[in-house]
Amino acid sequence: MLTLTKDRALALAMLVITGILMAETRNIAPPTSWQPYGSALFPQILLGIIAVLSLLLLLRTWLVSQGVASSEPSRPRRSLTEWVRHNATVLSLFGLFGLYALLLPLIGYLIATLAFLMASLALLLGIDTRRKWLINLVVSCTIAPLVYVIFRFVLNVWLP
Amino acid sequence: MADFFLQALAQVGTPSVLLLILIGVLFGIIGGSIPGFTVTMAILVVFPFTFAMDPVSGVSLMVGVFVGGYSGGIVSGVMLGIPGTPSSITTVYDGYPMAQRGEPGRALGIGVAASFIGTLISVAVLVYFGPLLASFSMNFRPWEITALIIFALTLVAGLSHGALLKGLLAAALGLLITTVGYDRNSNLRFDFGFDALGAGFEMLPVMIGIFAFSQLMGNLEKLRDDPQSAKGANTNVAIPYTRILRDMAGQKLNTLRSSLIGSLIGALPGTGGTVANFVSYDQAKKFSRHPERFGTGIPDGIVASEASNSAVAGGAFVPTLALGIPGDLPMAIMMGVLILHGITPGPLMFEQNPILVGAIYASLMIGAVVMVLCQLLLVRWFAKISLIPQQILVPVVLMLCAIGSYALNNNLFDIWVLFAFGILGYLLWKASVPLTPLILGVVLGDNLERQLFRALELDSSWLTFLTRPLSALFLSLAVASVIFSLYQNRKIQRLQADEATSRNA
Repeated sequence: MLTLTKDRALALAMLVITGILMAETRNIAPPTSWQPYGSALFPQILLGIIAVLSLLLLLRTWLVSQGVASSEPSRPRRSLTEWVRHNATVLSLFGLFGLYALLLPLIGYLIATLAFLMASLALLLGIDTRRKWLINLVVSCTIAPLVYVIFRFVLNVWLP
Repeated sequence: MADFFLQALAQVGTPSVLLLILIGVLFGIIGGSIPGFTVTMAILVVFPFTFAMDPVSGVSLMVGVFVGGYSGGIVSGVMLGIPGTPSSITTVYDGYPMAQRGEPGRALGIGVAASFIGTLISVAVLVYFGPLLASFSMNFRPWEITALIIFALTLVAGLSHGALLKGLLAAALGLLITTVGYDRNSNLRFDFGFDALGAGFEMLPVMIGIFAFSQLMGNLEKLRDDPQSAKGANTNVAIPYTRILRDMAGQKLNTLRSSLIGSLIGALPGTGGTVANFVSYDQAKKFSRHPERFGTGIPDGIVASEASNSAVAGGAFVPTLALGIPGDLPMAIMMGVLILHGITPGPLMFEQNPILVGAIYASLMIGAVVMVLCQLLLVRWFAKISLIPQQILVPVVLMLCAIGSYALNNNLFDIWVLFAFGILGYLLWKASVPLTPLILGVVLGDNLERQLFRALELDSSWLTFLTRPLSALFLSLAVASVIFSLYQNRKIQRLQADEATSRNA
């Protein structure tokens, strides 16, 4: 049975995306009488190229499994739970960034940025010693207002 | 030539622009000296600050970061044994052993001096070859430009660490990203019913998202897998000036050769500082009377490495300014800055914006002088800054990326674009997809489509691409670069297989 390697997952994801976008190109307006080619042609060419390359990648992964060539070093396989636990920090940081983007228009730049910096520094540095807390506070409380001042008063750019 | 250069010099010579170059160089050195931060990241972080500036100020600031960034990699390379940027990997080979022998100041001083000379030589190459290439490419019509862009993309994809298929896939994906929104005929594409997608994606949040997230999250993963990589170092450094002058006097040929190699490699699409670094180190070793001493902490290795990677700066501007084809990632972002300021790099830039071209030359030269002064005077501080942990750096840079993306159009949607492409970039990085072709695709996509359809409107036959000599040449080179990459991949796989067999035997 073929297992889902990185290359295989990539090729399959690309093929799915290509299929959806190819279907979507039908909604693009057709060429007018004075246009030799329509607006859908360029994306269709690219989608065709992506589909062919994805199929070649898929074929190569099959050849790899037959022992012809190996492009990926073999690593111990992890279950989804193990993978999430292994990448917990990175995933949490993505989560914090999403939350930051969500809160920015609601509570404004200063509070949202302070909260984001403090939370992400706590996540990455830890909060088990007084020194780490101090670093967290100093970095967050310096950088957030400093960037505000530079954008607002030096560059005349309003932040939310 | 002299006339517009003097006018440009007058604009760059104002106190405010000189201050911007100083800030750019300082930030570039700091960025380059922090392991894992890279020149590209430094440029991306500074990019949003140029929005409110006039083109000369914005470009001067960015050129400062560029010059500083390429020289900054030496600091962590010498002090920590970790290259600050990929383009200073070979600096570590001799810089770190020299520092461990108790001569960190000498190693840093030699590197800074070589960087300075390398940058100046590359500016000379840019001044001489830029206008030549631009005037030659004035004859290019849509067929030639289309074929040239395709050649550049295949070349970059082919050189992506042996992952040709994924490199080509990434380039096509990058081009596809530019098709979202209204096109040249005012037809809407891939909006999926969301009004916000009508305007398409802004290039900046897409580039930052793809590159910055993958790089920063990758740094965190490396730190998790190898916590020892964040070890400290003695940052008490003093520069022995007379010793360095004597060292450099004995390295004239090496400096010249390495600078020319760096300039030449910088001018080729798809290469850049890392390739220049290895090629010139290898050449210095081959031409040396004592090759066995390379890697033990000798000035020859540091000079070869630093002169070449700094010379990439000027060389890389040649195709970007003259053809509108960025050769590497930092140049792709540099091109983004120019486009943002309403300037389209290409053959016409030398005619339509000669003062800006002159400003780039002048900023490069002034930047080199500022760089050498900053490095020699503040090296002790840069050495301390190189110890900033990734745990502090990553959240701050992510926040700056978000604010930079927002500040582009005062549009919160751009932060979501950044986030979405950040996730995409990270996933592609995890799948070992090279991101440089993807970003080049994003930068060149609009131009490729425009030129392709202009060519087809002038002559609806696709065969014209093959009957015009220059476009046929570029397309043949594109095919040749793909075939060469396939051949190289095979060769590498065969070598790896032989190695594995001999190990098992």
